[in-house]
Amino acid sequence: MAKQSLSFALEARAVAQLDDYVIDLAWSPDGKQLALAGGEGKVALADVDGKFSVATLGEHMLGTLALAWQPHAKRFATAGQDGSVALWDAASARQLKRWKPGVGATQALAWSPIGDALAAATGKSVTLWSADGDKIHSFAPAASTAVALAFDRPGTDLGVALNGELAVHRIEKSRYETRRYKWPAACLTVNFSGNGRFLASGMADGTLHFWNRSSGKDSQMRGYDGRVQRVAWSDNSKYLASCTGNDLVLWDFSGKGPEGQRPLVLSGHTDRVDAFAWQSGGEHLLSGGRDWRLVLWRPGRAREPIDVQMTDGEISAMRWSPDGKHVVVGEKQGRVSLFEVVAR
Amino acid sequence: MSVTPSRVPVTVLTGFLGSGKTTLLNRILSEKHGKRIAVIENEFGEVGVDSELVIGAEEELFETNNGCICCTVRGDLIRILGQLMKRRDRFDYILIETTGMADPGPVAQTFFLDDELKSTFQLDAIVTMVDAKHFEQHVDELNEPAEQVAFADLVLLNKTDLVDESALTRIESRIRGINGTARILRTRNADAPIEKVLNVGAFDLNRALAVDQAFLEPEYPFEWAGVYQLDAGDYLLRAGGEHHEHEHGHEHVHGEHCNHDHDHAHGHDHAHADLDLVVVPLPAATPEALQDAIEQAVRSFSEPATVVNCHGEISGRGHFAIDISHGGADFALNIAKAGAHALFFEHHPLEFGLHLTGQRPVLERKFASHHHEDDISSIGISDPRPLDPTKLNQWLDYLLKTRGQDIFRMKGVLNVKGEDRRQVFHGVHMMFDAQPERPWGSAPRVNQLVFIGRDLDRAELEAGFESAVAK
Repeated sequence: MAKQSLSFALEARAVAQLDDYVIDLAWSPDGKQLALAGGEGKVALADVDGKFSVATLGEHMLGTLALAWQPHAKRFATAGQDGSVALWDAASARQLKRWKPGVGATQALAWSPIGDALAAATGKSVTLWSADGDKIHSFAPAASTAVALAFDRPGTDLGVALNGELAVHRIEKSRYETRRYKWPAACLTVNFSGNGRFLASGMADGTLHFWNRSSGKDSQMRGYDGRVQRVAWSDNSKYLASCTGNDLVLWDFSGKGPEGQRPLVLSGHTDRVDAFAWQSGGEHLLSGGRDWRLVLWRPGRAREPIDVQMTDGEISAMRWSPDGKHVVVGEKQGRVSLFEVVAR
Repeated sequence: MSVTPSRVPVTVLTGFLGSGKTTLLNRILSEKHGKRIAVIENEFGEVGVDSELVIGAEEELFETNNGCICCTVRGDLIRILGQLMKRRDRFDYILIETTGMADPGPVAQTFFLDDELKSTFQLDAIVTMVDAKHFEQHVDELNEPAEQVAFADLVLLNKTDLVDESALTRIESRIRGINGTARILRTRNADAPIEKVLNVGAFDLNRALAVDQAFLEPEYPFEWAGVYQLDAGDYLLRAGGEHHEHEHGHEHVHGEHCNHDHDHAHGHDHAHADLDLVVVPLPAATPEALQDAIEQAVRSFSEPATVVNCHGEISGRGHFAIDISHGGADFALNIAKAGAHALFFEHHPLEFGLHLTGQRPVLERKFASHHHEDDISSIGISDPRPLDPTKLNQWLDYLLKTRGQDIFRMKGVLNVKGEDRRQVFHGVHMMFDAQPERPWGSAPRVNQLVFIGRDLDRAELEAGFESAVAK
């Protein structure tokens, strides 16, 4: 990447079709394959290197809810409304194992950073599995449904979004201590900052909270028009991004942090923003939504979009490749487009 | 750019265990109506139709606003509804079945939560199934049955074949007392026509607010009046619907029956052993004469009643409290002067199987009564005076802040000063939706408000309304 240049643009490279509403996408660690999850339940695989065609591997009855590629491996996991977790082998394009960790829908999955453990949130229970799908641990069931999961960057803490709190389980050999971060509303997301200092959560009451992990201090960010369902830290932990209506809302954690400060509001969409993603290892942010627009931002450098591309429909998901050079965008009607970020 | 699809109507089906919800669901799903229906149910696996989409839910409640109970919504529903909308084979309807003990509030409130949900789904109606056989017992013992009735737009009074007509009348009156605006439909085996259950449009602000006019009338101390054309002489007013006309000659039979019942009558005596009754002679058996007699009847009701025991006498004019605490009670009605007489009853006489033997009313009329057995009731306000928009908002804000928890449902059509269109609103607890609707045109402008809730105070609501009237 030309370090001095501010001029980057998206260039369309390939298009494929998933016969389903794209709810999420996951890159293989080598950036050569892509797993796709559909709202009606499809689980599919695409070769990015080849002709970018989509092959359906299987499905989750009534809808896929979660997709996660195992770090450093050729496997990925999916989970769904049917409650089951499935392990898929990307090399052979086959399902390896499928099981039900508990009662209810499995809403969230998270791999530990080194890929040795898979956490699954099923109804009110959170379970930990080996890479081969053998049970490692069941955490005590929570009082409410677990809706989101995330490991911190070292992989020692597993965060669980619950109604009224984030529970953080310390993963140590045969000891699982739990620390709780409470707020009287339903937590919808759990987001560890990469530098380990903060823990954030989007809430159903239209607020965004973050806790300082060393002091436990809770800060609340308001001004959202409804549930805060999408939250993401930039790779360098500088920005915490969220969206409300047609805008992206970024809280700046550099310097004294966002408390008492106005957020950075990025306005470049004409309808609701439904998906956004930070560039892996970079500073770019990509957003998409109901206005069919794909907007590339470089927060802190430019307040205006640095590129805008039109897609063929409402955008529902997007993921950057591990090297941050490509991004794949999924639409509600199943279209999947591959873009490359190029210097102009 | 983006096409906004029409909103998917959602019907919420509540009712006690055994009231017939599953039977109704199975009927709806198996009928050939050409509609695609998704069902979200709690008691997973009960619905036996596999051609449609049936999803189990976990009844996962969460508060959206800092511990406020009346801002509680259903997280599981939000997720499942989101999943349904990701399917490209769209559904014509969504039916949500709640558990028997469920509070319908959080389910209904979910649809008011935010713009995303409001723009995708249209809460169509809350349908409450009532088991005619067990309703009275349940409503006396528990809170939920009355609450479920209070939330309803449509009450299906089911299993009507298991009880007699007087019980049905009594139950309907009780339901009316709780919820003055719901439609009541009698069914035997949950056999309600699908078009009466789905696409009711109860929350559709674009449709005229369908409120039973009788409910918005002033409330009276009586529920029913009958006009009888009577010759001078003695008549028998009998309680107990099972008895047939031909028995009436046998005085001793009634005596025995009556005495027999006396011993245990007090065991299940309830608060209404006495039934108030006012007799007013009319100049003619016409609706106008009955209308003119209402004022006198109201006055008479406010005067002390003559207590009439079993076999006692009622004269052709005045206020009486007849003792109906035991079945088979009868009373003599002495008519001194031939002519039309109106009998105003505190409760519908059919509730007690009361009838004037050998006589049929030539005219009858039902009245909205403010007598309530339950702490949940409905209050209607009908007033033509235009409202001040600022004061109206102040009043409603205050009302919802202070009483939001007790007010289950609230709806109305408002005549706002300076506004050519009807202002229409709907609320579930504190969740609220309002918008201008079609113009008044030449129609008479009138405010019609309905509140359904617990321990409602009419005077307080009327004073609040008064404060919002434009000066």
